[in-house]
This record gives sequence, C-alpha cells and structure tokens, in this order.
Amino acid sequence: MRSYAVVAISLTCLLAGCQRATEKGPVVLHLANWGGANDDIEFGRKVDALYHQFETENPGIKLEIESVPDQYVQKMILGFVANAAPDVLSLDAASAAVFINNGVLQDLEPFVQKDQQFQKSDFWPNVLGIDSRKDRLYAIPGDFTPLVCYYNKACFDRAHVPYPTGHWTYQQFLETAKRLTLRDASGKITQYGFNFTNWMPGWIVWLWNNGGDVLTQDGDHADGAINSPANIQTIAFLRDMVQKEKVSPDLSQTAATGVDPFGNGEAAMEISGHWMIPSYKSAPKLKLDQIGVTELPTNLTKPKTVMYEVGFAIPKNAPHPEESWKLVKYLTSHLYQQSYQQTGIAVCGRKDVATERAKDAREQKFLDIVPTARPPWGASVVGYDFVEQEGKKMMERVLGGADPKASLDEMAHRIDSYFKVR
Amino acid sequence: MKRGKIGYFFIAPATLHLAIFAIFPMFFSIYLSFFKWNLMTSVRSFNGLANYVYAFQDPLFWNAMWNSTKYALLSVPLGMILGLLVAILVNQKLRGITIFRTLFYIPAISSGVAISILWIYIYMPETGLINSVLGMLHINNKTDFLKNENLAMYALVFMSMWVGLGPKMVLFLAGLIGIPASLYEAAELDGASKFRSFWNVTLPMLVPTTFFVLVTSTIGAMQVFTPVYIMTQGGPNEKTDVVGYHIYVEAWSKFLIGIASAKSFLLLVVIVLVSIAQFKILKNQMEGYSAS
Amino acid sequence: MKKLLLYLVLTLLAVFLMAPFAWMVLVSLQPNKAPIPTLEHLIPSHPAWSNYSLVLFEQPTLPVGRFFLNSILVTFCVVFGQLIVSSLAAYGFARLQFKGRDWIFYLFLGSLMFSGPVTQLPVYLIIRSLGWLDTYAALIVPGVSSAFSVFLLRQAFMAVPMELDEAARIDGAGDLRIYARVVLPLSGAALATCSAFSFFAVWTDFFWPLLSTNSSSMRTLEVGLSVFKSSYGNTNWPLQMTATVVVMIPLLVAFLVSQRYFTKGITIGSIK
Repeated sequence: MRSYAVVAISLTCLLAGCQRATEKGPVVLHLANWGGANDDIEFGRKVDALYHQFETENPGIKLEIESVPDQYVQKMILGFVANAAPDVLSLDAASAAVFINNGVLQDLEPFVQKDQQFQKSDFWPNVLGIDSRKDRLYAIPGDFTPLVCYYNKACFDRAHVPYPTGHWTYQQFLETAKRLTLRDASGKITQYGFNFTNWMPGWIVWLWNNGGDVLTQDGDHADGAINSPANIQTIAFLRDMVQKEKVSPDLSQTAATGVDPFGNGEAAMEISGHWMIPSYKSAPKLKLDQIGVTELPTNLTKPKTVMYEVGFAIPKNAPHPEESWKLVKYLTSHLYQQSYQQTGIAVCGRKDVATERAKDAREQKFLDIVPTARPPWGASVVGYDFVEQEGKKMMERVLGGADPKASLDEMAHRIDSYFKVR
Repeated sequence: MKRGKIGYFFIAPATLHLAIFAIFPMFFSIYLSFFKWNLMTSVRSFNGLANYVYAFQDPLFWNAMWNSTKYALLSVPLGMILGLLVAILVNQKLRGITIFRTLFYIPAISSGVAISILWIYIYMPETGLINSVLGMLHINNKTDFLKNENLAMYALVFMSMWVGLGPKMVLFLAGLIGIPASLYEAAELDGASKFRSFWNVTLPMLVPTTFFVLVTSTIGAMQVFTPVYIMTQGGPNEKTDVVGYHIYVEAWSKFLIGIASAKSFLLLVVIVLVSIAQFKILKNQMEGYSAS
Repeated sequence: MKKLLLYLVLTLLAVFLMAPFAWMVLVSLQPNKAPIPTLEHLIPSHPAWSNYSLVLFEQPTLPVGRFFLNSILVTFCVVFGQLIVSSLAAYGFARLQFKGRDWIFYLFLGSLMFSGPVTQLPVYLIIRSLGWLDTYAALIVPGVSSAFSVFLLRQAFMAVPMELDEAARIDGAGDLRIYARVVLPLSGAALATCSAFSFFAVWTDFFWPLLSTNSSSMRTLEVGLSVFKSSYGNTNWPLQMTATVVVMIPLLVAFLVSQRYFTKGITIGSIK
C-alpha cells in the first residue's frame, strides 16, 4: 500500500539522518574559526593550500573547517553544550575567559612536556601568558597584534601635513586630524582626518590612554571604572571628533555605503590591528607602501594599547586528542606560520617568524609597540562580550545625542547587574 | 459515532509528540526558572524565586514587554483593517482578480530572513528604496529608519503589514464570501445605504473570522523574533527590543538560563491572559449578534 | 468607470506589494561589492549574472547546494510526518468518541499559544540528551506533529458525511480502513492545504534550525542565508540580494504551484 511505502521512506530518512557521519576510515578533525566568505581570494587560497599540506603530511587525517563568521563565541559555547565541539578551536583572546574559566578546554602542558619537538621558548612569553592560568596552558598562540594607528601617506601629502612621529596627545591628534580634513569648493568633505569605528574592542584604547578603564582592577565590577571622569571626557572627545569637529565620517553614512573610508583612501588615519593589512593590500585605492604605522595618541607618559591574539585550543572531550595536538602543532609550526604570515594577517606568535618578517620597517614598528600592549579583558573575565555589546550601544546613544555621563552610568549599571547573575 | 478505546490509538502518536515537545517542555521550563544555570556547567543551583525577582526588577524586561505590546497594538489592528479593506477590494467580480489575490499573498510566503534582509536595504538612508523615492521627489532622503529611535518600531510595524496582508486578506475574504446574499438584499429593501449594510450586516457576520484573525495575530505579534534579530537587534537604544528577542538574548547570548525561563513563563502568562480577554470580549459580541 | 477605479487601486496596491521584490532582483544584478544604486541607476547596464554563480557555486564556506538539500530533506520528512501523524489524530478527534477526547483536543489548541521562546530551551535540552543535536533528527522530529494541522484536518474530516462511514462499516470495514479508504481520499484538498502550510512553515523556519545545528553541513537555507549576510561583513549588498533571491525562488515556485490551496485552506480553518 502506498501509505506504507510513505511511512517506510520517512522512517528511513529519519534513521539515516540520526547518525552523524561515523566513519571507520580516516580520522576527521574539525577546526573551527571565524573566517567568512573571503574578499581576498588569494588569502583564502593560500590558507586552503596550507590545510591540504597538513592532510598530505598526515595520511589518515582529514581536515574539515568549520567557519562561523557570526556569533562565533555563542556558537562554540553551544557546540560544547551539544557535545559537538570541534577538535581544534580557534581561541580569540578577547573571549578566551568563558572557555578557560568554565573548564571546557584541555590543559596542553602534558602535551608540551611529552613532545620533544615542541618548544615553548619559540613563542613570545607574554603572548603565551594570555592563555595560561598558573601552570596550565590552554592554547598555543597562532598570531597576535597590538592595535596601532595606521596613516595614509598620500592623504598626509595631499594636506601638506608631516607624517606623525607617534608622540602625541589627544589634542595634538585632533589638530592633526583637523588639518587632514579637506573640503572641496562646495564645502563637501573630500578627505577625513580619522576613521572612527564604533567597535569597543577598538576604541577601548582611547579610554586607557586617558587614564581610564572599563572594569575595576579585579575585573569584578564596572561602576567607578567605566563611568570615571576620565572616561566621560574621553567619550565626549570621541563624539566631538565625529560630530562637532567632523574629522570623522558619520557612522550611518559609512554603514550605508559599506565602504571603509580608510580602505577607500578617503580617511587619513585609522586605529586597527595587523589584520587589516591583507585588505589594504587588495584595496584598489590604496598602495600598501603608502601605509605607515605609528603609536596611538596618549595623554599619559607612555602610550598603552591592547593586544589581540588568536590561539589554538583543544576541547576537553575531544575524541582524538593526539591528532588534535598534531594539528595544533602544525598550525603553530614555523613552516605553517611562515607561509601563513605571508598574507600579512598578523604578527606571528612565534618569535622566529615574527623577527624574520620584521626586516620591513613597518613590521618592526609593530614589534616595537608590542611591549606596551595589554591583553584584553575578555581573556580573563567571563561575559566580557556583554560589556563590549553594551559599549557599542552606549556609544550609539552618545552619538545620538545622549549625555556621556548618563550613558556611562547606565552602562555601568547594566554591566554590574549582569555580573551579579552571571 | 463509535465509542471505545480505538480513538486512543489514532491520537497516540500526535499526543505523545505533544507531550514530549510541548507539554513537558513547558513544565520543564517552569522548573528551570527556579535555578541558576549557565548551560556550560553541569551543576544547577537552586535559586528559589530569585530569577522572578530579577525579572520583575529588570527595567529592560519591562521595556521589552512594553515594546511587544506597542508592536501588537499597532500591527494587529492596522493589519486587520488593511486586510479587511483589501479583502473587500478583491471580492469584486473583476477579470483577473485571482491574479491580484495571488500577488498580494506572495510577501507572506517569503522566507522571514530574506524579507528582513530585503527591508534592511529598503530602509537605508539615501540609497534605500524608500529614500530613493523620497529623493526623487526632493524630500529629505537621509532618514535612517532603522537607526532612528522614534521611527524604528514603526518601520517594523509597516513591514509586518506588508508581510501579513496576504493571510488576513484571504481569511476575511473567506468570511465575506460566507455571508449570504439574502442578508444584503433584505438590508437594501429596508433602504439601507452601502455604509449601513456594511456596518449592520458585514461586520457582525465577520465576527468569527475577526476573532480568529485577532487571536492568531496577537499571539504572533507578541512573539515576533526574526525581523528584530536580523534588522535591529533590539535597537536603537532598545526601542525595538521585543520580548521574544529579549528572552533569546538572555538565554543564548548571556546564558542566563534560569532567568530566561522565568521571563518566558511570565510572557506565557501574559499571552494566556490576553487571549482569554479577547475571547471574552468577542464572545459577548458573537452572542449578541447571533441573537439578532 | 467604477471598474477602472477599482483596477487602478488594485494595481497601485500590487505595485506597492511587489516593488520591494523588483528592487531586490535589480540590486542583485549590480556589480559585486558596488554600493546600492539610486533609482536612476537602478537598471544595470551590464546585469551581473555572475553574482548568481558566485553565490551558488563559489562559496567554499557556505555550501548553498548543501543548504538547499538540507532544506528539502527536512521539509519533505516533516510534511510527510505531519500528514500521517496529524491526520490520524484528526480522525480520532473528528470521528471517534473516547473519554477525555475534548479535553485533549483543547490541550492541542492551547499548545498553539506557547510555541515560542517558552519551549525552545527545554526542547533543545531534550534533543541534546538524546544526542540528536546537529543532526537531521533535531530538525525533523520536533516538527513532525503540529497542533495547527490537527486542528485544520479535524475541521476537514468533520465535513465528510457520516453516511459514507456507515456504509463502509456495514461492509465490515474497521476504523483504520475507513480512515484510509473513505475519509482521507475525500479530504484531498484539506491534506494538500495542510501540506502547503507545513511546507512554508518548515522551509522558512529560522530560529529552531539556528539553535539546533552548528556545523555548516547541517544548516538549512534560511539559516545559511543569515550566515551569508554576516559573513560578508554586512556590506556586500548586491551579493546579499542575490542570496536572498536564490532563497526566494523555490518558495515562489512552490507557492505558484499550490496557491489555490491557500485560499481553500483558510476557508476551512476560520469559520468555527
């Protein structure tokens, strides 16, 4: 009877789908990262080739990349909850705390001790420290970057402004940006001094360099820290750069056109990390040798910056820990990193590769700035991503006309309410 | 009708499914609302009523409730009126009227995500569809609808009317078709104008349909999620943070499982109360009219 | 004259409702990465059909083909499952008498009220403890029965004349026979309508697949589209519109094939 056939087909579908691929062949390793569809095809191809090489060197292991461009942290957490965590996890320092503090990652120290070929000394010690807790190591650094101030020499030339030396206060930065903001005959702005993005991981450096911070020293609460007088000043300063002084493009305009003003050659300066280099390379209106790097402006005696890092970690319940370790080793090996860093995505976590690449003056500048870099709060505070989301909302409110003090107070209040129940 | 035990066999699969995926989850959710749990650890600690206290004291939760109410109060009546008007419009015996009916229904079958993405761009400043048209008419075309605190909610409501027109139109159309022509003839004989017969014949006869549309639309509106998730993420400034989205963030972004469960239960209570109220109000209407 | 006015109003309304779609298609044909054009430049001089092949075939991290297959498989299974499970239950409620029948039916109706965030989390936990997260089972099983379908089909079955039942019973048929040979065949339209509604509900279901699947090999088209949106940093508009069109086309086709069932179906559902 037809209906029986229908029932049979449906049941088969159900049962077939019930099992995930349980292969008796090669070991399949899932590597999770937040790469999305890539604008830079070359970068994508390079990375693909590197993955293939791993498979060739390790017959019996197949690599599957899990790309999660949206809400990576949430998806990874859900993956752990679902017992479907990847075999190797890209760990972003800015959100490492939630994984490390909740005990879902393997301590890699035993692997390091057992493995003769692997040397911890190959890596920058303070970078290794980001993912360590006492004597446990939870991730091997892949690469990292301090935030720096990029400047476009062509824009400076156009405005007849000398290149920055890196020793500047906020006021001096603003003056420079004003001189760099050019208008045409009709008054329309043709070049902006500075491209400000409402991305808290990016603008936290402005808070630090004015003597403020986001949380109290123990990372326990926000009230008293985020809404300090210094921060109120800083937030007002940033708002004025966009709205009063107009040295920075309006944020919704930027969103509407979807073009990055700095990448489009229309903004002279931008604060960001090394990861921008590949997109600067492929931007049609930029010439990479015209891009300079300098220290961030500071009102303190020495500039401070934040360091973002990506490492590779292995979940506690990984089914193939030995193979996972092989992959982690490969991803942080000299061979892989040397090739990978050709793309220019970051400063290598390995001292040898980083120093090799520092033959270039700009690369050397990054290394010079590294000692002033601090790991992000997210590396040690669970739930810090909530803080960053609230930061973005706070900034939007201020840009929408709200009072900085009130907005910061509200942000402090919300963070503390959340920290109490988290 | 045959009496006996065989009925149980027929309803067994569906009832079992209901028990597992609807009834039990509801009770489990209530159970979870008394605990503190972040999903990653296996330990749950009993919290008593703390989660409910937190929910009651959370201004953002009440903001979300208010936003959902506002959204429902705007989109449901407006959507229903539009649906009724269009149903009357397509109830004419015109050639090709079915083509129009089909066209009007298409927005409703579309993928929620696709529609949401599409309308992000429709609402963009300067180059979005709406602002393009305004620009051509030399009216201010710089409004960023979704980023404007005062307009964002209305933008979502407007979009919901565009999407929801089809089903409401068809429901009212079915209702209209079901009204016996004899009633209209009688009214005409009594000298009633078009407007009067609409008021005294059409509307009363549409009460059952109206009730169905009202209740289902309200329940849907109180739980709206996808447009907010895709288009505004609750912003700007939490002006479009509706309860469905708010609870999603509590559960899946902040991993406050107990609190999210408590808030879900409170939402359920509200929906049930509102539905009962709507039922009672319209029941009186229905009884009133069937008597006449 | 009145007819002309009516046609005018209808056409204006149609334009209002269809304009966004037309705009969507035109933007999707703009060159890759271009900003959204103003109305004067809307019609592209060189339609970028390549956008479609880019979206459909050249995205290694977003296997659109796989998403499409997943959507088809899941929808197919759920619609079939619902047809069987819901129609059985509907027959029980419509045709048979047993203790507690009406109470249980009201329970079904009541469940329509709490399908959203209230039950998502516990269902997620149930699926997790069954080990079904990130599998087809997670996408299919929770949807396999629908209170709405039960409601709709019960209405339809009640409209089938009882005399036919009696006749069959005299011939010695049991309930299962009557269900399969008498009631089902006569309710073809209602079943088709049910399937149509289920099809669209499952195909466009966003939240549950988002939650219950993690790997890209398990994602459905709806979720894939939202991932697509964010993976382009929310800026490549023409390509995003292309992806949106791609997602819409199967829906449009399915709708045009089944559209008359929507009119019929809602008729059945509303009266009582």
